Formats: sequence, structure tokens, C-alpha cells
Amino acid sequence: MRRSRGAAGAAATALCLAAGLNLAGEDPGKATAPRMEFVPPPPGSYTLQSIQRISDAVLLDSAGRAVRLSALTQGKITLLTFFYTYCADPLGCPFAHTTLANLRDRVTADRALAGRVRFVSVSLDPTHDTPAAIASYGQEFTADPEFEWRFVTARRVPELLPVLDDFGQDVSVDLDQYGRATRTLHHMLKMFLIDAHGEVREIYTLAFLQPQVIFNDIKTLALEAGSGPAAVRGRPSVSVQSKP
Amino acid sequence: MRIDNRSVLSFLVAAILTIVTAAAYADETCNSPYMTGLIKGQEDFVHVWTLGVLGMGDGSDKLVTVDANPASKSYGKVIDKISVGGRGEAHHMGFTDDRKYLWAGGLDDSKIHVFDVGTNPAHPTLVRTIDNLSAKTGYVGPHTFYALPGRMVIGNLSNAASKDGVTGLAVYNNKGDFVKKYDMPASEIKQLKGDGYGYDIAVNPAKNALLTSSFTGWNNYMRDLGELIKDPEAMKHFGNTLVMWNLKSMQPEQIFAVPGAPLEIRWALPDGQNWAITATALTSQLWLVKRDARGAWAAKDVAAIGDPAKIPLPVDISITADAKGLWVNTFMDGTTHYFDLTDPEHPKQTYAKHTGSQVNMVSQSWDGHRVYITSSLLSKWDKKGKDNEQFLRAFQWDGHELSPAFEVDFAKEQLGRPHHMKFTANAQRVAPAVGASTATASAR
Repeated sequence: MRRSRGAAGAAATALCLAAGLNLAGEDPGKATAPRMEFVPPPPGSYTLQSIQRISDAVLLDSAGRAVRLSALTQGKITLLTFFYTYCADPLGCPFAHTTLANLRDRVTADRALAGRVRFVSVSLDPTHDTPAAIASYGQEFTADPEFEWRFVTARRVPELLPVLDDFGQDVSVDLDQYGRATRTLHHMLKMFLIDAHGEVREIYTLAFLQPQVIFNDIKTLALEAGSGPAAVRGRPSVSVQSKP
Repeated sequence: MRIDNRSVLSFLVAAILTIVTAAAYADETCNSPYMTGLIKGQEDFVHVWTLGVLGMGDGSDKLVTVDANPASKSYGKVIDKISVGGRGEAHHMGFTDDRKYLWAGGLDDSKIHVFDVGTNPAHPTLVRTIDNLSAKTGYVGPHTFYALPGRMVIGNLSNAASKDGVTGLAVYNNKGDFVKKYDMPASEIKQLKGDGYGYDIAVNPAKNALLTSSFTGWNNYMRDLGELIKDPEAMKHFGNTLVMWNLKSMQPEQIFAVPGAPLEIRWALPDGQNWAITATALTSQLWLVKRDARGAWAAKDVAAIGDPAKIPLPVDISITADAKGLWVNTFMDGTTHYFDLTDPEHPKQTYAKHTGSQVNMVSQSWDGHRVYITSSLLSKWDKKGKDNEQFLRAFQWDGHELSPAFEVDFAKEQLGRPHHMKFTANAQRVAPAVGASTATASAR
């Protein structure tokens, strides 16, 4: 695999353009971590809304194999988020993955959820975030073979854009003081809770990224599915197509 | 793997489009606080959702865009207008969570028009009209549009069957698909009976709280105000409650008795604050909803607005970003008031100015330096004759005095009755094409 630095830089620049952000006024400042000043309702005491179904797409896993998005969003309760490997915002991708790691520990400690939950992290920058790059980035999160945490990217940007559009995930690029694109992708941190049928049941932005609430939502979906067909266990089948 | 120049170029095209998409960066504090792209600086545009008037221009409801940047050559001028092809009683709007779209409702025809204000905020486009609210929910009169992640909660005013004030909340996803409905509580909760009426919505994620208020139904808001106030029976049909919902479960948990039609609700958003505030239209009071040390919510009236005996009719409020000040417009006497909220349990009016013969919406910029006012309340409630001024007025606020900045005469310009306002701004200091060229060069 060969990759020119110039092309990589261009890709980063292009991604930056996608964000295209410069503030019309003052910088609004860093986002703040979510506060939680309430006791969340217990799992199963409420019903999560059915917000939308996910359209299918073909992505690349960390081994460079083509994988259908539907294979990553059905059959288990799924938490999916978008990221990029060089994200440096402490309340951006690193915060999302720290939160997910916290949730993974809660999930794996709960026997009722064993094998019923997966996490999926989708790169926002398919040009820079190659399969090798996401494999390297994801190492610290995927060490537990008993827990399915998939890192995926796309073959090309045009194949990613419909996915972003379907999820309603914005992405843009910050500009520096001279109006030049930086390497900072600006996106609204969103985490999608998807039931085993591929339906989005909750969406968490930063203000809602409260681990206890998310854990209760996962338990609520697990209780809703019971032991029926929705409670499919085990790793999903991966639709492998030609190598890119 | 080989980098494909075509894919880079494709992305550039998308990127260029997205540059403008990410544009919305101005705000006031009534928007969902957790949306992306809130701005604290100078807004570039004010979008005004405007009621059509028969015989005035094309007579249609329309989204009017006004240039609000003093550095612009077209400052204070109408730079765009989009008619929706009918008069449906244009009223309120709300941004989606990504601020790319404005959802704007009609209180009479119950249509919801979705405008793209992200691609090019100077020239929004109408991308979708949702017309199934009544069929899906039985509700009519979509009023408040409040973004939750990936979806919109709509607070309605009435119902299709009786057209009284019994109504509920409707949830749509950002694609415009109906998700779920929730009736306003009409039964008893903790010894207090709900009236089933609805109006505004305000969410506080840190407290898992959704607070709603209550106004009146189609039978009243589409009736001539002069006739209405002479009908004692009709005047009984106004909301008298606030409702605290559990946001996660979307279940009403507590009802507060707040007589006199509590309207707009604003949460104090800074850390450590545990209260929201509203104003009652008919009784002219500020009401505070506050959580005590034991975690229990309670509502109490904390200040009079003007002389309640004269029914000045408070119609809109705008809270400052630090929650230490509140603007209040009273329709009947055309007055804009400022309250010091440093002690929210004892608000003090520190400023008032007659800003028009009738004034309705008030929106302060996030940085607190500008205040915008529109004139129209409802097509059947606006004043008659020479008092029926229709305007957007912008003021500078130096902490002591509102100074006129610009004005758009909506009657003279044949636009209609201006109601709700939202702010956007250009995203770029640099033209997108420049960035694109640079990127393309890099790609080579």
C-alpha cells in the first residue's frame, strides 16, 4: 500500500473544506462535558422512540474487507459513532471513545447483555483513515475478544457521504486565521443507539452523553427484545466482497 | 491503496457545498442549547416568518431574510423572500439540531415548511412541506419547534376534532417522518388536574427535564380579538398550567397551576442554575419554576409585568446568555421591558421603552448587544387602523438604552405581518472558491 503525503494532505484539506467553518463572530468556546443532575428512569420503564431505519452501504473494516453496514447495525443492539483518528478535541472523538469504553465495561459486567451489544466506530476521513490506520487506532479498544467493537472506514469519500447524510451527521473543517483549511474536522458529536432490527432508537449529542442513561437505554432495548428473534447472539455475518 | 484524484475532486465538490452548509452561526438563547454551531458574535441575517395579508404583495406567508450585518452594503435591507403559496397563519420556527434547516409552522393550515438555511443563509430555499400533522396526530396548530438530537419536537395548540385547546406534542425525525405523539396531560397528577393545553417547549438535558406551557385553541386564536374578549365563555378556554415532563420517558410528572396562559419558557443554562422562567399573557406575571434542595420542582409568580390590571399582554421573552437579564414585550402598550434576573426570585424591571404601537416577538443576540422586535401577534389579534404597524426593528443595547439601528416596514414593502425571527450568519471569511482552489492545488 502506497500513499503520497501530498495526496494525504490534500485529502485532509478537502475534509477541512467540507467543514468549511469559520465563525462569523467570536469563537463560541469549547463544549462542556455533559452534566447529569437527575436519577434516570430504570431500564424497561419507558419506550424509546423509533426514530429512523438505517440505509445500507458498503464500508471497509480494519482488515480492508468490504462489509455491509447492515451487518454492523442488525442482529445486536448497536452503539455507532463517527470519529477520525487524529481528532484532538478532548470533548470530541476521544470523549466519545472514553464514554464507549466505560459503557463496554458496564455491558461486559452484565451477564444479561453478554453477546447482545456491539459498538461501531465509523471514520469521517476515509482518505487518511485507511484500514491500517483505524486498526492501529482501535487496538486499545478491541483487545477484548468477547466484546465486538468494530472500527470501519470507507473506500472513498463519495461512498461515505450517503452514510453521513442518512445518519444526519454533519462534518466540516475549521479554517485558520488566514482562512486556510486546518486538520481539524468539525462535527457534531453524535452517538446512535440502534436496535437489533436496524432501527435508530436514540441519538446522543454531547449534552446527552450520560453513560448511566445510555446503559439504561441499552438495557431497555434488551428487555424489549426479550429472548425473541431480536435478541440474536454472537458475531454478525460479514458480507465480504472484493478487496479494494 | 492509491489515492484517486477523482475521489478527491468529488470530495472537494461536496466540500465546497458543505462549506456553506456549515454556515449557521448566530443565535439567541431560546434555541435548543445543545445544538451545534451556536454563535456569540455578530449575526449576518435575520429570517422573519411572515404572515401573508390579502392584497399585500402576493398575499402569501413567506420567509423574509434581512441583512443584519452593519458591515454589509445591504445592511438593514430585505435581501430575500420565499413565499409558500398560501396563508396558513405563519407563526413560529425552530432550527434542526445541526442548524441546517428551519422548520416553520402555520397555526391555521397546520403545514410545516422546512427551509434550508445552511447551504446559503442569505438565500434560503424551501425543501419540504409536511402536511400530515393532523392525520398522524389529530393535533392542529403547530407552534413550537424544538430540536432534540436527530428529531424535532413540535408543541401544538389545538386539535382537529373540536379545535379547542386540548392538544399534544408531536415528534418527527429530521427527514420529516412522523415518529410519535404525546398527549398533554388532562387528568390528575399529584392532586393537580391538567388542562390538556399546549404551547411552548423547553428542554434541560442536565436535568432530564422538558417543560411545557399552555395557551388556547384554534377557536380562540383564529377569532377576532375584539370579539373574543367580549365572550366570557370563550375567555375561560385558556391554558392555566405548566407541565414538567420526564424527558427520557416522555411522561408528564408534575403539573403546576399557572393562571393566565403561560407562554414562552426559558431555562437558565449556566452551570449551577436550577430554574426556568415564563410569562403569563392574561395575568401579566413572571413565573419561576425552580428546584429546591430536596429536588422538588415548584412554580411561583415572582414579578408583575407592567400594570396587570391594564392587561398589557406579555407575548414574548428573551433571556440573556448568562441568565441575568430578561427582555419582555407587551403587545397592547407596545412596550419592551428589561428585567434584572440576578435574583430570579425577585426580578426587577430596570428599563422600559415604547418601541411600537404593537410589539410582539423580541430576540436578543447572544452577545447581548442587539435586540430585534417584530410587530405581529396573530392575524386576527393585531390592532386595526393606524396602530396596525408592521415592522422589524433592530436596536443596539449598551446596557442602558435601546438605540434604533434599522427598521424594515413590512407593510410598505408589501411583505405582510412579521412574526418569529431566527438568526444565521455566513460561515466563511474566505470565499469557498479560494479554499477549493488551494485544496485542488494540493491534490496535484
